[in-house]
Amino acid sequence: MDFIRGIFEPHIPILDDIKEKGVRQTIEDTANDSVRRVTAGLDIPALRGMLRGDEAGRPNPRLTPHADGFWLHMRPGFYNNLVTGLYPSFRLGWLSTFFLTFEIITGVYLMFWYTPSPLVAYQNMVDILSTVPFGRLMRDMHRLGAEVMVAVVALHMLRTLVTGSYKKPRQFTWATGALLLWVTLVLSFSGYLLPWDQLSLWAVTIGASMAEAFPPEVVGQTLNLLVRGGPDIGANGLLRFYLLHVIGLPLAALVLFGVHYYKVVIHGHSLAPEDESIGEDTAKKVPLDKREYFLPTIATRELFYVAGLTLLLIVTSAWFYHAPLEPHADPQVTPLHTTAPWYFLWLQGMLKLGDKVIWGVIVPGAITTISVVFPYFELGPNRRYAARRIGLSGAAVSVFVLAILSFMGTPWYAVQSSADQEVLAELLPQTHPGPLLTSEWDEFEAGTYEAANWQQAPTPALRNVLHLFEESLQQHGETLPNAEGIMVVENWQSGLRKVTLRVLWDSIETGEQTESSQSTYFHRDSAHEVTTRFGG
Amino acid sequence: MKWYIGLGLGTLILATAVAAVLAVQEPARMERFDAAFHARQIENGASLFENNCRTCHGPQGRGIPGVAPGLNAADLFNGSRLQAIGYAGTVEDYVRGTIAAGRPVPSEGTSYPQRMPTWSREYGGPLRPDQIESLVQFVMNWEQTALAEAGPTPSIPEDEAVGTDITVELPAGDAENGQTLAEGSLGCTACHVLSSTGPAWAAADGMPAVAERAAQRIEQDNYTGGATSAHEYLVESIIMPNAFVVEGFDPSVMPGDYGRRLTPQDLADILVYMETFR
Repeated sequence: MDFIRGIFEPHIPILDDIKEKGVRQTIEDTANDSVRRVTAGLDIPALRGMLRGDEAGRPNPRLTPHADGFWLHMRPGFYNNLVTGLYPSFRLGWLSTFFLTFEIITGVYLMFWYTPSPLVAYQNMVDILSTVPFGRLMRDMHRLGAEVMVAVVALHMLRTLVTGSYKKPRQFTWATGALLLWVTLVLSFSGYLLPWDQLSLWAVTIGASMAEAFPPEVVGQTLNLLVRGGPDIGANGLLRFYLLHVIGLPLAALVLFGVHYYKVVIHGHSLAPEDESIGEDTAKKVPLDKREYFLPTIATRELFYVAGLTLLLIVTSAWFYHAPLEPHADPQVTPLHTTAPWYFLWLQGMLKLGDKVIWGVIVPGAITTISVVFPYFELGPNRRYAARRIGLSGAAVSVFVLAILSFMGTPWYAVQSSADQEVLAELLPQTHPGPLLTSEWDEFEAGTYEAANWQQAPTPALRNVLHLFEESLQQHGETLPNAEGIMVVENWQSGLRKVTLRVLWDSIETGEQTESSQSTYFHRDSAHEVTTRFGG
Repeated sequence: MKWYIGLGLGTLILATAVAAVLAVQEPARMERFDAAFHARQIENGASLFENNCRTCHGPQGRGIPGVAPGLNAADLFNGSRLQAIGYAGTVEDYVRGTIAAGRPVPSEGTSYPQRMPTWSREYGGPLRPDQIESLVQFVMNWEQTALAEAGPTPSIPEDEAVGTDITVELPAGDAENGQTLAEGSLGCTACHVLSSTGPAWAAADGMPAVAERAAQRIEQDNYTGGATSAHEYLVESIIMPNAFVVEGFDPSVMPGDYGRRLTPQDLADILVYMETFR
C-alpha cells in the first residue's frame, strides 16, 4: 500500500521547504545555494558586499573559493600590496598568460578553416579572408597577439633579470620561465609556415637551415630531414610545423606554465629589491596590514584588464594592423632579402659572422643553456641595484649586443646582391608590395619616364616613384657609374598596366653600357597595402 | 574599486559595439577582398602569360598564325569558337579546362601543328592550380575589350531572322540539313544528348520521341506557354525557351537568342529533323 501511495504522492523536497519557510525564503535560499556552489563558497549577499566595497569579515569568507574552488585554488588569496602596483612587475607575467589564452582562442577559431596541406593551405587563407565571418579580424588578432606575446615574454624575462628576482629560492621558476620564452619563440615561428605564402616558406627555410649546421654532419642532416620532413619543406614539413604549432608546443607551454606559476605562488611574488633586507626573502610572509585580497580587488582589476586589452586588440586589428599575405609559396622563386622573423634576426645576424657551426649552433646553444641555468651559478645574495653594477651592466650589454646582432640580421647589413638589383628591389621589393604597387593606379599614366627628370613627370605618384628611383641610383653611384633609370608604363589590359624599370650604367670592369630591368603588372583594384611588418 | 567595475563594463560594451560595427561591415569587406584578390590574380596571370604562353599565343594574346590561336579575340568570348566544337559550358570553364588539361586535338577546320600542352600539375603539367586560376582570370580580363573591338556578335540581319512568334509560317524543311545544324554549328547536341542512345529527342527510357512529348506537354495542367499544337510547342521551345520550363530543369539554361540566330529555313529544317523521330 505504501508503494502505491508513493506513486501518487511523490516526495518533492522543495515543497517541504516551502511549507516550513514560505515561498519567498525558499526561493532566496535556493538561489543562494546555487550561487554558493558556482563560486565555491560565496552566496549572493557576500558577492553584493564585495561589489559594494564592504569590509571583509573575520575570518575572511572571501578566502573560501581559494580553498574549495578549482580555478581560484591556483591563485593566491592575497597579494602583498607592494607588488600590486605597476612596479616591480609591470604586469608582464600576467600579460604573458593573457596572450597565451588569447592565442589559443583565436587560434582555435582559425583551425576550423585550415587544412595543413600545401594543396589547400593557401586557398584556406584566401577563404578566411574572403568568406569567413570575422576571418580577417581573427587572423590579424592571432598574428598581432603572437608578435606582442613574444615581446611581452621577453620583457618579462628582462624585468626578472633586472630586479634580481631569479635569485634563490626562485632559480627553478626562472629556469621554467626561460624555457617558456624559447617555447614562445618556436611557437610563434612555427605558425609562420602555415599560410603557405612566400613569406612563410622562405622565413622558415632560413630558420630550418640552421638545423643542418649541427655537427657532426650525420646529425645535422638527420635533424634537417626531421624538421623539414624531406630535403625541402613540403607536405610533410607543413604537417610537422602544424602539429607542433597546434598541439606539441601549446601543450609544452601549458605544462611549463603550470609549473612556473605554481612556483611563483609557492615562493610568493618577489618584492622589489629595496623592499626587503639583503639576503632575505619575505615575499611569502605577507603582514596583515599589507594584504591586498584577490577577491575582490585583484580579480576585478584583472577582469578590467581583459576587457580593455581585448578592446585594444580588436580595434588595432580592425583598423591599424593587417597580417600580410603574400603570393603562394613557390620553392623555385627565392625572393631577394628574405629575413627571419624579427625575434630571430639576432640569429640571422650571427650567421653572417662566419662559420655556421660556431655561430649557428654552438653560440646559440650556449646562449640557450646559459639563459636557463645561470641562476644556479650566480649566487650573490644582494638584490639591490647598487650592489649589482657588474651584473646589470652585463644585462645592458647583452640587450645592446642583441640589438646590434638583430640589425645585422636585416638586409641593410652585408648583403651580397648587386647594386642594380638593390635599386630595382627598392621600388619592387620581392618580400612586400613596396612603393610602386602601393601608388595611386590612376596616376600611373602610360608613357616613358626618366628618373633623372622626375620633376617633369605629369602626376604626383609618378614623381614620387621616379624620385625614389633617382635617389636610389644616386646612393649606388659608386658601383653604378653614369647610371640612368627609365620607367615604362604601358596599358596592358583593361584595368591592368605593365610597369618596366630599366637601369642602365657603365660597367666598372668593361666600361660598356650594361642594362638590368624588371617588370611588374599593376591592376587598378589590387589594393596592395603598406602592410605593417614586424619581420619576415 | 568601483570605477574599475564601471570602466570594465563600459569597455566590454564598447568592445561588443565595435564587434557589431565590424559585423555589419564584414560583407563589404569581403567584397573588397574578393575584388582585390581577383585583381592580384590578373597581375600574377599577366606575368605567367608572358613567361609561358606568349611564345605561341603571341604578344597580348593576339595569336600567331600557324602556331596558336588568338585568345584576345572576339570569337572566343562571343561563344562562336565554343559552338564550333559543341562545347556547352561557359567560356571561362573552357579556358580553364584547356589551360589545365591541354588540347590533344585541334578544333575542326583549324590547323595548328602543335598541340596545346597540359599546364596543370593535376594533369602532369608544370603549374600549380592557383597559377592556372590566375591565368584564367588574366585571359578572361580580355573579354570586354575583345568583344568591343569586334563589335556586336555577328548574327544574321534582323529582317532575315525568324523572330519569336511561335505561329510563324515556315517554308518546307530538309531533315538532313536539320541534323547537320543540330549536331554541328548550332551545338544543340552539346547538351541535348543521351550518351548511349543518341540525341535527347529520340524515344528512350520509357519516354516517347520529342514530337509526342510535345503533344503531352501542352495538355499538362502546369503548362505556361502559348502553344496550341505539338509543332508550335517545339517552335516555342527553341525560340522562346523560357515560356515553359519542364520540371527538373532550370530556366535560362537554353540560350534565349535562337529567334535572332535562326532563319525561318533553319528552323524549318530542324523541326522536320526532330519530327522524324517516332
